[in-house]
Amino acid sequence: MNTGLVALKRLGRHREASVLLMLLVVAVYLSFASEYFLAPRNLLNVGRQASVVAIVALGQALVIIGRGIDLSVGSVIGLSAVVAAVVIRDTGLESVGLFAGLLTGLCCGIVNGLLYTRLKINPFIATLGTLSVARGIALLMTGGIPVPMGGIAEFVGAGRIAGIPVSFLLMIVLAIAVHVFSVRTVRGREIYAIGDNPKASRLAGVDLKATRLFIFAFCGLLAGLGGIILSGNLASADPNLGVGYELDVIAAVILGGTALSGGRGSIAGVVIGALLMALLNNAFVLLGISAYWQVVTKGLVIIFAVALDGLQRGGEDE
Amino acid sequence: MPSNIVENATGASRAGQPLVRARGVAKAFSGNAVLHSVDLDLYPGEVVGLLGENGAGKSTLMHILSGGLVADSGTIDLAGEPVRFGNVSDGISAGISFVHQELSVVGALSVAENLYLGRFPRTPLGFVDKVLMRASSKALLERVGAGALDPAREAGSLRAGEQQLIEIAKAAGRQPRLLILDEPTSSLTPHEVESFFSYVRNAREAGTAIIFITHRLEEALGLCDRLVVLRNGAIVSERKPAETSREQLIADMTGKPAIYDYKPRAIDENAVALSLRNVSDGVHIEDISLEVRRGEVLGLFGLVGAGRTELLDVIHGVRPLKSGYLTLNKRTFSPRDPSEAVKSGVVLVPEGRKTAGILPQHSVRDNAAISSLRRFASRFFSDRSGEASRIAAFTKSLGIRMANDMQPISTLSGGNQQKVIFARALMAEPQLLLLDEPTHGVDVGAKADLYTIIAQAAERGLTVLMASSEVPEILALCDRVAVLSKGRLAGILERSEMSEDRILTLAFREH
Repeated sequence: MNTGLVALKRLGRHREASVLLMLLVVAVYLSFASEYFLAPRNLLNVGRQASVVAIVALGQALVIIGRGIDLSVGSVIGLSAVVAAVVIRDTGLESVGLFAGLLTGLCCGIVNGLLYTRLKINPFIATLGTLSVARGIALLMTGGIPVPMGGIAEFVGAGRIAGIPVSFLLMIVLAIAVHVFSVRTVRGREIYAIGDNPKASRLAGVDLKATRLFIFAFCGLLAGLGGIILSGNLASADPNLGVGYELDVIAAVILGGTALSGGRGSIAGVVIGALLMALLNNAFVLLGISAYWQVVTKGLVIIFAVALDGLQRGGEDE
Repeated sequence: MPSNIVENATGASRAGQPLVRARGVAKAFSGNAVLHSVDLDLYPGEVVGLLGENGAGKSTLMHILSGGLVADSGTIDLAGEPVRFGNVSDGISAGISFVHQELSVVGALSVAENLYLGRFPRTPLGFVDKVLMRASSKALLERVGAGALDPAREAGSLRAGEQQLIEIAKAAGRQPRLLILDEPTSSLTPHEVESFFSYVRNAREAGTAIIFITHRLEEALGLCDRLVVLRNGAIVSERKPAETSREQLIADMTGKPAIYDYKPRAIDENAVALSLRNVSDGVHIEDISLEVRRGEVLGLFGLVGAGRTELLDVIHGVRPLKSGYLTLNKRTFSPRDPSEAVKSGVVLVPEGRKTAGILPQHSVRDNAAISSLRRFASRFFSDRSGEASRIAAFTKSLGIRMANDMQPISTLSGGNQQKVIFARALMAEPQLLLLDEPTHGVDVGAKADLYTIIAQAAERGLTVLMASSEVPEILALCDRVAVLSKGRLAGILERSEMSEDRILTLAFREH
């Protein structure tokens, strides 16, 4: 076999590479199809749109690598935003409000983790429960009416530093930190281990409960941060903020090459996955295609990406 | 090795037409030759023992015979007719049944449904004929010596040994002309083994050709008419059981003599490393008291269901202690989780390498390092450079064969994977090493290596508690043996009192 083909095959085995390739194909196509695509303003917008999905996906990625899933992130985004906005409105103290918002996310994550580790509820069901509960509380707190949001949250969500969206910069910093955490720290490596074979990991001395609690708590915290950024961007904390967001987040994680069965995935892949999702959204706007097609395509892309992965790895279940 | 060195060939002199005649069967995977031109004849009414280390090519040869793989070259005749199977169902319809070592019982279905999976009998209305299915299942189970099993029972609730009998009954139900059994006895109790053997003998009388793959040489010598040894993809000997010995077969399989001889160790009677006082878990084990001395290898013997694994689980913090207490180096020891046990220097090499041992998607290095990550980490980061040198040292001292330590562990042979699990345990610098069936399913060569590793660890002062269901293993390694019978301690034998007979007598005490 010639070496070029071998190298290509090896590249194909890295899921990040194939998603990156898809990203480049879409980008090249768009740069010919639309004169606006390469305008810095448009590109920065894509970056901003990708950033909240990517930030929440960082936490979700660790959960999925550890063989869990968190369906509640969309609702936690909404609840955290509402709590932050309400506390700011009622106390007038912005720092207290933002802290309360982040704490809300963290608490939701801890609740998910405890439901899983202590009550032994399957995380799919446990987080489906918190999805509904968190959304309900957000609606109850506001009576369904959006609360204004501004200040620091607005700066993070809509502001720019040297022309670059703050949320995008924050996403890059967090992605690097989570990447280093996942590959270099003991806890990070244990997350991969429990996702690969939880029983073997436990017998080898990994604290399963603590590790699982950690990943859900961390995912909740990042969802809380996502809620603050998103509401800041809109200058309003809508109790319905983040409805359906869990799908985008999980899609970004899976697109980025993380195995839903756990043990495999990378932070770089997740960021690329989130960028690809944002780029596709952008494509529909630039090409003037109906937003409804966007919904259909999102699903198709996920199915395509995962099918590609399944075919490459061969039928492992049979 | 293109040509085979065949000694004492017996097949050629046999009268009559062989059921299977394989000639020049060769197979390579991505350039690595796994089988070199194998010739094999199988006659109706003959039990052929197929022996060889893991990686010798036994499974590949069996998959080719049964249709799961296609040979690169060579021919296979079935009852005089050349055949070329494209897949397993071709093999099954030609009358070849292969009972795999890995169990594929569907846990949520009943025993009867498992036996008839894919060919459910139907009533005239098209519903599944459960009455017929149960009755014929019962008859089938009785044939393989599992008549005590209720066909209506959920298969997932059965022990591994019982599930294995279902697999065998499934194959028997197809009335095969050639029956291939891959390690069928690995989780059967001695009683089950006996009734299974009588099924094999009956099938032989009925004219079935049988290939029996096993690592237990005593069984092969007792059951088979002919023993074929594969080494490195070629048949190196064909012998009659009456004309050969254990030692000869081991030499054929490994290319070297005897696997391991016990050497006495100097042990301080008063240096107690681990002590158990009236330990019960409330379910499987009851009122067990024993002491393990520093630098000793204490065997833990028992039949299937005796509570060996459960006792190790209690010591390792996997299973909660109901009553009684433990001390480790004279201090109370009550781990609530394996993570606490590992932190206190108690590590386990578990039973079931695939399910409880390896992290299949991880590299060899990551697999070896997982138990010692916390021990060697700095304030924030894990010690990756130290890891590399530690695994390099263990690769050398344990004789792990691999291209490099970043390759996935699943690409190694079973014996090498088990050595990596040993490296994982030893790397955590333990005070007490718990072993649960440490050589289960590894080949003779790797077994000998693992015995050396265990003995050397004990000589360096490591305390070892080794659960095993193989008496020869206990005799090869242990300074004393504690025998469990139905969850109770039946007795402890000193080295001078240890014999196969006495160990088994104690093991059956509560039966």
